[in-house]
Amino acid sequence: MKEHNILIIGGGPAGMETAYQLKQLGLKPIIIERNDRLGGHLAQWDRLFPTSETAVGLLERLKENTKDIEVKLDSRITNIEKINGTFHVSLSTNKNFEVDAVVVCTGFELFNAERKQEYGYGIYDRVITNAELEDYFKTHDDKRVDEPRRIGFVHCVGSRDVKVNNTYCSKVCCATALKQACEIKDEFPDADVYCFYMDLRMFGKGYEDLYLRAQKDFDIKCVRGRVCEVSENIEGKLVIKAEDTLLGTPMKMTLDLLVLMCGMEKAKGVEEIQKMLNLESNNDGFIENSGSFVGINRTKGKGVFVAGACTSPKTLPDTIAEARSTAMEVFNYLIHNC
Amino acid sequence: MRPTFDPFVIPFVAGMTFVLVYCIIGLIRIIFQLPKEDRRKFGRSLINPKSAWKNFKDLCSDCLFHVKIWKRKPLLGYMHSSIAFGWFMIIVIGHFETIAFSPLKDMQLPFFQKLTSNLYMPIFFRFFSEEASTLSAHIYAFLMDFFLMVIISGIVIAVVKKKKPRKVGLKRVTKFGFTEDMVRISLWTIFPIRFLAEASMANIGGGSFLTKFIGFDLLFGGHYNETLSYILWWAYSIDLAIFMTLLPFSRYMHIPAEALLILLRNAGLKTTEPRKGYAVAEIYSCPSCGLCIDVCPMSEVKENYRNTAVYFIRNIRRGRRRRDVKHKTEICLMCGKCIEVCPLGIESLDIKMAQRKKYYYKVKSNFSYLERLQDYKTTGQQAQSSPLDAHNSKILYFAGCMSHLTPKITLAMTKIFEQANENYEFIDKDGSICCGRPMMLTGKVDEAKALIEKNTEMIKNSGAKRLILSCPICYRVFKEEYNLEGIEILHHTQYINELIENEKISVDRSDKRYVYHDPCELGRAFGVYEEPRNIIDNIGLLTQGKSDKDLAVCCGGSIGSLAMTKEERDDITKNSIKDLTLNHPEEIVTACPLCLKTFARLSPIKVKDIAEIVEENLEINEELGIRN
Amino acid sequence: MIDFGFSISKSSHIQMDNVDLKLFNKLEALNPDISTCMACGLCTATCSAGNFTDASFRKIILMLQRGKDKEALEKVKKCMMCGKCILVCSRGINTRNILLSITRIYNEEDK
Repeated sequence: MKEHNILIIGGGPAGMETAYQLKQLGLKPIIIERNDRLGGHLAQWDRLFPTSETAVGLLERLKENTKDIEVKLDSRITNIEKINGTFHVSLSTNKNFEVDAVVVCTGFELFNAERKQEYGYGIYDRVITNAELEDYFKTHDDKRVDEPRRIGFVHCVGSRDVKVNNTYCSKVCCATALKQACEIKDEFPDADVYCFYMDLRMFGKGYEDLYLRAQKDFDIKCVRGRVCEVSENIEGKLVIKAEDTLLGTPMKMTLDLLVLMCGMEKAKGVEEIQKMLNLESNNDGFIENSGSFVGINRTKGKGVFVAGACTSPKTLPDTIAEARSTAMEVFNYLIHNC
Repeated sequence: MRPTFDPFVIPFVAGMTFVLVYCIIGLIRIIFQLPKEDRRKFGRSLINPKSAWKNFKDLCSDCLFHVKIWKRKPLLGYMHSSIAFGWFMIIVIGHFETIAFSPLKDMQLPFFQKLTSNLYMPIFFRFFSEEASTLSAHIYAFLMDFFLMVIISGIVIAVVKKKKPRKVGLKRVTKFGFTEDMVRISLWTIFPIRFLAEASMANIGGGSFLTKFIGFDLLFGGHYNETLSYILWWAYSIDLAIFMTLLPFSRYMHIPAEALLILLRNAGLKTTEPRKGYAVAEIYSCPSCGLCIDVCPMSEVKENYRNTAVYFIRNIRRGRRRRDVKHKTEICLMCGKCIEVCPLGIESLDIKMAQRKKYYYKVKSNFSYLERLQDYKTTGQQAQSSPLDAHNSKILYFAGCMSHLTPKITLAMTKIFEQANENYEFIDKDGSICCGRPMMLTGKVDEAKALIEKNTEMIKNSGAKRLILSCPICYRVFKEEYNLEGIEILHHTQYINELIENEKISVDRSDKRYVYHDPCELGRAFGVYEEPRNIIDNIGLLTQGKSDKDLAVCCGGSIGSLAMTKEERDDITKNSIKDLTLNHPEEIVTACPLCLKTFARLSPIKVKDIAEIVEENLEINEELGIRN
Repeated sequence: MIDFGFSISKSSHIQMDNVDLKLFNKLEALNPDISTCMACGLCTATCSAGNFTDASFRKIILMLQRGKDKEALEKVKKCMMCGKCILVCSRGINTRNILLSITRIYNEEDK
């Protein structure tokens, strides 16, 4: 088989793993990343659920695998044109090259919590997001996390909510919340930690164990009810309102820290790439793939493939598995078409 | 000598008599249906010279000159005036002409014959008269021809409007059934037939430039055909008879009803019953012109244009299709735009409100729990009874239910109060009971009264002198239904504007482009248009949306609508945002927490409350510490 | 049967077999969105009346579905119609209109 170039759009876990597998298959992937580093959201995370492995460990592993692969950082795609089955790609760095297949691995964006004004993010100091808490765990440098005595986690921020036009479940927040709850409890053993959830979707391997550990070892208290309003009292503490739906009674609670579990949304700027490759969006705003079963890696554009959270919210194991299957799909496509 | 009677006048006389009798009976019924107090009010207003003068003025400007249509759509104004005013002039001048030259002038006739001849003679004058050569006869003939020409020009525009609404600046016109079409055709043909009839015998009856020269000399070639002429006169009379007979059952009933409506309105009456008294006068006054269709936010979705005021009134008038009436009553956003454009100012929202009051609810509200509330801080779980005490503070701040979901507004307000160094009390910081307006909008007025009384009691006990509100929904009910004597009620736009004008706070100006959305309950309801614009002028650049002030489009979130689905609301919201962002503003500014929440969900650009942008641009006076 | 001198108190179970859902079905036909509730509790948490009373939209709907009409109506009566619940509902349910429909369809005296 002759050497084929494959364009990988996005250098997150999905892009890196797809590239690695393609390389193993004897092909030549090229990763285009708009940031100045690889890793995507993984690079911002401290530890991963359900086992609390470090994110750095996984990232280093992925990086190691991609070290012989051509990576163009700080680059954006300005144009892709398909002529006779070959994609002509132009980059913002004024480089042009040709590829035989494209894999879209643009990933996701975390929901902007300011859009849920009633949660007070950006208004009250002690309201932070899951990403910011993760950053705190990495750096221990955030004045807002200051010996909190009572901490609340709000699940489903920006997910399962027509009021922000996102009706889907973001899949990772339940487990992330419990992981972070355990971690912060570990850090501040005297603190009371409450998780406000609608449904605890602990579907993956080891997730239920995480739930049990959170209850048994860390005394995390789960309240079934969505937080509706956050305000600040005279002492500057947060006051939240929610319904304890299992008891059927509204409740108020004073907190020192509120962590919003922001869900996944389609990545910013992905519309431009969709336009270039003629890719449609599904109802949730993510990129539409060709079906829910055998077509998950393909799109309706010939030679255009997808992997990872650009088609729907995904966990890391899902993403990596999908990246590998996408590599296989690309390989098969090239054998039969080029 | 011409005859003084001919059988062809009979259809007209019959039709005319029918219309007169119908209107008189209708008038008596309406007056009879009015509540006693209203009837007395009406009687008094008729004899009071001041209101009589107003009546005269309004009758002239609305019934004769149609000033309101002229203002909105000059071409439609001309169309309508040319037909209505032209016709009116033909009747008036025709009567004077008849008095001056009537062949019956010197005849002794029995009373009844005299009466009926007075009815038909001016209408068919040219048939019975003989051409006179005096100067005044020529002037009369010229005037009659002139107004006939004016009317015919109006009919030409009407035909164009019917066929191509966009040519006269309308997107949609009302659709009509068979009867309405018949009446319209009969109306359109009356004057062309009259012209032909008069022209056909202008050599005998006389005429001027239109009937005699253009009509008789050119059209009929100067020949007088007696049979043809006679047929035309019959046709004219029958056409009039058709129009008159169908008039009470058609939209043209607005001609007599409008005059009554003006008199009733000037007497200060309001709709109390959806199908009785004042409402009937309003319903019959609706000319089905359809100006409300294009402005109604619901018309943006094609299938929903039939929910607009004109169709609602038609349903009510026909008295059937109760389900349609109910749907139209309950889906309406109550934004009031239709009333702004209505040439007759028909208060269709009052009719809808009266209709909502009529609907029966088997389960009655029970607000007995309000009794144990002493102030807004007392909640069910934590009863801490320290009655609201604002005697020391002059200002009360009532944010309202919705503002608790938009903490940026309440925080901005507290900051503004502090910077203005105002002594204030945030009374519903921990929640409150509802202001009562949403309950009123459901038609449960008596039940809303319980909420209003409780709030009134708590606010009055506070002894404050001013009440600042953040929610226009609260503002409206506080203004209209609360009896808070001695307490000044202000929306925060008015209050902030006053602070800026009195230099109690100062703001920085930037080049940021804003567009302002007028909340219905603040704008159309109270005309608070200048204060917010003045504030924005002090902060940045105010751009124009497609329509604003009294024609601003509802955000789609209005609690005025009971039955509207989320999808229907979303369509309205998207359209409203499209209108607002016409000139590429950077931020949408509004003054209502409900508008803010509604827009924020679907807007591509930031949406902020006016208090927020003031707070963002406040020049901070460091000396003032944070209190509260 | 032998009388042991005590009686068994009425079962506290909801006897779903005996629950008459005719009225609820009528309500559901008029307001199909009623069945989309996912019980997140936002309506109850934000409720203006719920601040002072046991009013709860979520519970009202559940109770009507389980035949506890009388208890549900007691809660309905406390609603102030402020519409805050429409503003927060995660599923975009027209809560206010459903409450109005309930007061029309159900009758206190019936139960």
